[in-house]
Amino acid sequence: METTGDPWSGFIRRLVFEGLTDVGADGNIHPGLATAWTAENGDHRWQFHLRQGIRFHDGTAVTSTAIAASLEASCKGNCPWTTMRALGSSIVFTSESPMPGLPALLSSDEFLIHDVNSGKPLAPGATSGSDGGSGSFQVSGVANGALTLAANEASWRGRPFIDVIEVRGHRAVSDQWMDLAASRADIVEVPAGEIRQAQQQHLAPVVSDPVDVLALEVSTSGALADLNLRSAIAWSIDRNVLASVIFQRQGQASAALLPQKVSGYAFLFQPQRDLNKAHELRGGLAAQSLSLAAPTSGAWQLAAQRIALNLREAGFSVQVVPGTATNADLALRSFPVAGADPAADLEQMLRASGEALPTIGRDSAAVYRTERDILDRRTLIPLLHLPRAYAASDRVRDFHLRFDGAPDIDDISLEAAP
Amino acid sequence: MSLRQKLLLLLSLTVAAAVASVAWTVLVRIRHVFDQRDQEETALFVAQFQREFQNQSAGVTDTLSRLAETDRARFVATEVTQSGDLAPYLNEARTMADAAHLDFLEMVGPTGDVISSAQWPARFGYPEPAAMSPKAASFLKREDLPDGTSALGLFFVTAIDGVNPPVWLIGGKKLDQGFLADLPVAPGMTVALYSDAPSTPVTNTAASNTSSSAPPPSAFDPPRLIGVDGVVPNAARYENLVLTALRNGQQSSSILYLTKRREDSISVTALPLKDESGKVLAVLTVAISRSSMVEAQQHIRAIAYGVASTGILLAIVFSLWIAARVSRPIEELARASEAVAAGNWEVSVPERGRDDLALLARSFNHMTAQLVSQRERLVQTERVAAWRELARRLAHELKNPLFPLQLTVENLARSRQLPQAEFDEVFEESTKTLGMEIANLKTIIGRFSDFSKMPRPQLEALDAAAAVERIRALYESACPPNVRLLTDVATEPMPLDADPEMLHRALSNLVLNAMDAMPDGGTVTVSARPVEDTIEIRVADTGAGLTPEECERLFTPYYTTKQHGTGLGLAIVQSVIADHAGTIAVDSRAGGGATFIISLPKASV
Repeated sequence: METTGDPWSGFIRRLVFEGLTDVGADGNIHPGLATAWTAENGDHRWQFHLRQGIRFHDGTAVTSTAIAASLEASCKGNCPWTTMRALGSSIVFTSESPMPGLPALLSSDEFLIHDVNSGKPLAPGATSGSDGGSGSFQVSGVANGALTLAANEASWRGRPFIDVIEVRGHRAVSDQWMDLAASRADIVEVPAGEIRQAQQQHLAPVVSDPVDVLALEVSTSGALADLNLRSAIAWSIDRNVLASVIFQRQGQASAALLPQKVSGYAFLFQPQRDLNKAHELRGGLAAQSLSLAAPTSGAWQLAAQRIALNLREAGFSVQVVPGTATNADLALRSFPVAGADPAADLEQMLRASGEALPTIGRDSAAVYRTERDILDRRTLIPLLHLPRAYAASDRVRDFHLRFDGAPDIDDISLEAAP
Repeated sequence: MSLRQKLLLLLSLTVAAAVASVAWTVLVRIRHVFDQRDQEETALFVAQFQREFQNQSAGVTDTLSRLAETDRARFVATEVTQSGDLAPYLNEARTMADAAHLDFLEMVGPTGDVISSAQWPARFGYPEPAAMSPKAASFLKREDLPDGTSALGLFFVTAIDGVNPPVWLIGGKKLDQGFLADLPVAPGMTVALYSDAPSTPVTNTAASNTSSSAPPPSAFDPPRLIGVDGVVPNAARYENLVLTALRNGQQSSSILYLTKRREDSISVTALPLKDESGKVLAVLTVAISRSSMVEAQQHIRAIAYGVASTGILLAIVFSLWIAARVSRPIEELARASEAVAAGNWEVSVPERGRDDLALLARSFNHMTAQLVSQRERLVQTERVAAWRELARRLAHELKNPLFPLQLTVENLARSRQLPQAEFDEVFEESTKTLGMEIANLKTIIGRFSDFSKMPRPQLEALDAAAAVERIRALYESACPPNVRLLTDVATEPMPLDADPEMLHRALSNLVLNAMDAMPDGGTVTVSARPVEDTIEIRVADTGAGLTPEECERLFTPYYTTKQHGTGLGLAIVQSVIADHAGTIAVDSRAGGGATFIISLPKASV
């Protein structure tokens, strides 16, 4: 398996670590390390009952105390709950405000459970130690930038069909595709902007539903403290061109945060461009040169440059800077849509973007109002809903993607070499 | 300054000026020739460079033309015009540009909108006006870039073959370090490009992709002058030349001195690069090092200086010889003249050659010979006169005692007839008178004898004040009652090399003469004071004074105004003073007293 990023990131970590809950293939929340959970007192108190007999990869029992320690370490004092404690074989969360989306939140990458007392085999120079996880795969080696995972024979989910996975990181997409064609890789990434190219090259990519929200984060400080300027930016961007040309018709232009499939109301936010309105809102204000931070990879950089062009048409001076630049006025970001619960997804997006977290009702109308209020602030401007895609070699059987667009490694198998 | 020195100076200056003027003329001519050669070489290089530039332009044209003929370009153009779907060809221009080694390439649809852009892929769909007016040749254009800057490029536009409606390809090469590096340049030649592009990110111009509204150049920004190796060292020196080319749009040339050393100078030609509207977008500078030329010039100059210095040195030596040859007879004449002036009339000068100086020498020798002859005749005459005067004086002096002697002898002879007693009385009186007159004769003869036996002075260090003091001490108390002796001596030292006794005798003679000149009493004043290089001693009286005739003859031997004087006193004084290399003069007028002025050379201390 090859990836453009760090091998120890993304869905790879989900092979090693597990959460209290998990997102199923249907996008709904399913039991993970917790078998059941109950909410009390108007979602102010949650109790998660743990699965029994689970052990970390080093054999240490996964206890409620270890899970509590892991959760505490994950949020580092900035936890969404007020208190959290181990109670027998359960974990109890309490909060001053309702936490209706807590089961979905606990399924996110942020709250994957790990043994805080274990060694760190991924640390530079480390020769031993445990990965601290309890997932269906465990780290068996790190060499030359490649991560080797071995099947966890004792996984409560059952042993995966794959014995060993070698994850090679920091591979350019073109190299990944070449390796796939040369049978040096079995699963490679296909960025959304290159799905069409992969299809033309007969890589037969497996494409998910839109699960990534490409959005523009807008700073509220400095030149863009004025809401009208932020609105002018929102009206300046031609989303349809981004979707149809740069992302090769693989994305959906949208002015909504949540995809239509998740929320059901995304069509209400029309992604139209209105340059006249943008000029009107700008009102001749000559904002100083703005910086737009964006990842330097292919379609992202192109999208950032196109946005900069759109904004220049509206009278803004925009300079595209590398995505690592801090304190940029604008930032092009992607927010994952983890599950089918719109409220939970919206909450996780807001949490990821650093937005203030309102109490989100569970019904669609409440989620819509919340999203509309957020979008009216123009601090988060949705642009596209993008799918994820992977291409697999012919010997990979039963290859499909999960609801969040990640490959479902647990269920795949390999055809034996002739 | 002597004649020889003057001649030497004059000749040296003349020859040196001549050599220097020749050297200067040669150097100016050499410089002119080198400058001319430099200009011709620069013009040659610039012409060659312009041909290479045109070749590069032609290369861009050829590349674009070949691209427009490819099946791939035709296929993409056809597909896009039929389907309107730009997405599959977003990176097409980049791929084609990389293959063709172009920095800029855009495929522009029939409506003038970009289909695919190599330099700014996100610009698809935006208009590119330059593509809608195809040109016969390449042209310069400033291209805006995604990072907000712009770059100058050499562009060409051509339609893709066989596509209707037409789809255009516009592309070119960036005028940057790489472009400059590709230009073949001669050894010692460097090229640089000054781009007048705004360094700040452009705003609101990306859609139109034109920067022609950039303000006119106002200030020179040295970092914008880019050479093959980056920013040109000493770029600030190019300011005037580049700005002139930017503002005037005309090719201009100049010699720039990069440091204080002349060999670090370069001959630079600034070529304005214009867009189609005639606006100067950049200035290309072609610089040719002048180091080898300057070094050659300096080498020649050093040789010229060496030759000139040697010439001047030889001129000085020659002048020395000429001056010596010319001035030697004159100097000999001068020395001979001085000898003549000093009384040595026997001197003569060599008579060499037949030139004017030889004639002068002969004349001089003739003159001295005549002088000697005349002096001898004068001496003979004076000697005769002196003998006559001496005889006259002797006769006069001796006649006076002889007459009483004669009378006494005659009286004694007559007295033999007298009684014995009377005879004895006469005899006794006569012998007494005879004795007195004989003694008188001895005295006269003694004085003449003394005059003839004047000794040479025995010089010793003496202060004039001491000599005057000695006179005052001797005569102050011995003066007659009606005569007063005063002295007036300067306070500063008045050293003399003199014989104290002879000088005292001379001064005593003058003081006694002064007293004799005042029978009715008066004042004798003896004074001494330094006057320049001499010591002046004056003896003044308040007597009746002398007539001019007396003054003229006063020092003549045997001339006297006294009734019983021999006329030798002042002659002896003059002799003593002359033996001390001094002079004596008298200043007097009738009734105003007389002043004798003695000037003696001051002794060196």
